[in-house]
Amino acid sequence: MAGGQTGRPLTIVVLVKQVPDMNAVKIDRATGKPVLGGQSIVSSYDAYAIEEALRLKERHGGEVVAVAAGPPTVKDALTRALALGADRAIQIDVPGINDLDTLAVAGLLADQVRALAPDLVLVGQTSDDYETGQIGPQLAELLDLPLVSSVMGVAVEGERLTLRRDVEDGQQTVETNLPALLLAITGLNDPRLPSLKGIMAAKRKPLERVAPQSAPAGGRTVWGEPYVPERGVTGTILQDVSAAEAAKQLVAWLREQKLI
Amino acid sequence: MTDTGAGAVLVVGEVGADGAARPVSFEVLTAGRRVANALGGPLVALVMGVGVGEAARSLGAAGADRLLVADDARLAGLTTEAASAVLAHTIREVAPAVVLVPGTTAGRDYAPRVAARLGVGVAADCVDVAIEEGELVAVRPILGGRVQTAVRMPGSRPQMATIRPASFEAAEATGAGPEPEPIAVDLAPNDLRVTVRETTAKEAGPTNLEDAWAVVGGGRGLKEPDNFKLVEELAEVLDAAVGATRAVVDAGWRPHHEQIGQTGRTVAPRLYVAVGVSGAIQHNVGMQGSDYIVAINRDPDAPIFKIASFGIVGDLFEIVPALTAELRAARS
Repeated sequence: MAGGQTGRPLTIVVLVKQVPDMNAVKIDRATGKPVLGGQSIVSSYDAYAIEEALRLKERHGGEVVAVAAGPPTVKDALTRALALGADRAIQIDVPGINDLDTLAVAGLLADQVRALAPDLVLVGQTSDDYETGQIGPQLAELLDLPLVSSVMGVAVEGERLTLRRDVEDGQQTVETNLPALLLAITGLNDPRLPSLKGIMAAKRKPLERVAPQSAPAGGRTVWGEPYVPERGVTGTILQDVSAAEAAKQLVAWLREQKLI
Repeated sequence: MTDTGAGAVLVVGEVGADGAARPVSFEVLTAGRRVANALGGPLVALVMGVGVGEAARSLGAAGADRLLVADDARLAGLTTEAASAVLAHTIREVAPAVVLVPGTTAGRDYAPRVAARLGVGVAADCVDVAIEEGELVAVRPILGGRVQTAVRMPGSRPQMATIRPASFEAAEATGAGPEPEPIAVDLAPNDLRVTVRETTAKEAGPTNLEDAWAVVGGGRGLKEPDNFKLVEELAEVLDAAVGATRAVVDAGWRPHHEQIGQTGRTVAPRLYVAVGVSGAIQHNVGMQGSDYIVAINRDPDAPIFKIASFGIVGDLFEIVPALTAELRAARS
């Protein structure tokens, strides 16, 4: 979306969540429990939030502050945001973050974000791992900010914010004023990769490590042990069959299931 | 308005831009009926929007004991803040034990916002609900849908959950339904900070993805955007809608509204045909509720075969044209 070039510099906060690589999740056959291996990465939708923050700063001036909560390793996720172009980062030490409910986590984030008095808070639509999509809406509530989700286009003109969204009924255009909290989805932009220069520069950028301002009050939700859901169907798999034969067998099968 | 008492279940019904109740609204009624029966309390439906009278009646007739209607021009487009204000107000009036909300774009925003306002727990994007020892147990997929977890909210009143579309059968009309009771729409300026300027319908494909009886989804295995014509031809002969994986949408081959999976569309048609789709979890969460899944992929280890009811390991560039021709012959 074409953005206005007018207006004042923006203070933009972007939340960054570190998650295990979901494509590396294995199920332990003996226990039926998931095993999270592989690298920790920045949650996919956060990449769109970071990119949009950087583009808005490039257009309007101002500052991009990356904020993350979690165990000490979240430093890596923040370092990536700095390498991409964020100006500084705040790391909130919450070692047992996965034991907290979303409102407790949103509360810890709100304490830090409020003090930054941002014009815009950008958050990924949902996280790759636990996919609650609740941190953004609950942070908006705690900060008393208007929330716009599924954002595919952002334009700022003065205090006016025009957003393009993808909703069930089609494409929607909504307006609000700064400050606001936006949830980013695929299609918002094409996220850049960090440059070598950016990676070097990140080492010199301020990364502030802080303790939570208050003890989190959690326990509103209690999650059971994860388990593999039962699957109804066991499949037929054709291999080493000619294309014509495979097509014939599939059509016969579709007919058997009364699908055609 | 009288307090409906402990054990009441409040479900929210949403209405589409076309004025009809969204299919997921009837599915949430099914979930709500199950919970209400287990608790021995009434099932109360809240329908929010503008000009929703007819749709509200159709929802009320699908098994609600009470029907509350918030019909107000300021609820057009169901912005998060306005919807949150109405839902929070209704919760205070009805004092339900459980609140179930459709897992729509709007519902996924206002349900957690209201939960934060009330300081209660909310389980996101649930595919199953039950009552155990008087408490809600809401089952939701995590870690890309490979596993599930049962979420409990002890001490939360109400206990809240959003319901993933296509997870429950739609509730059917059981009679005329209760008389609609208008509820007060008391909105502060702060609840009206977001204004909907315009909503334009999706570029019309041959069939709408969510309503199609069958979907043919194409992935990176098609190699080039032009090769999507193989998917389109197969979809045409099946009278199916076309879907795409996130990789393909990210690469700009297909529009975002065709994306199936995490934050794309969730579909659960009778038949899903995956063409050149590896079956990354981000994709599978959006289609694994389909009744029958057919997969065509050259890689025998592709995860899509683990959820396929019928799989063909081979070259899609040979198999798909052969299949389209065979289906065309079968039809004539």
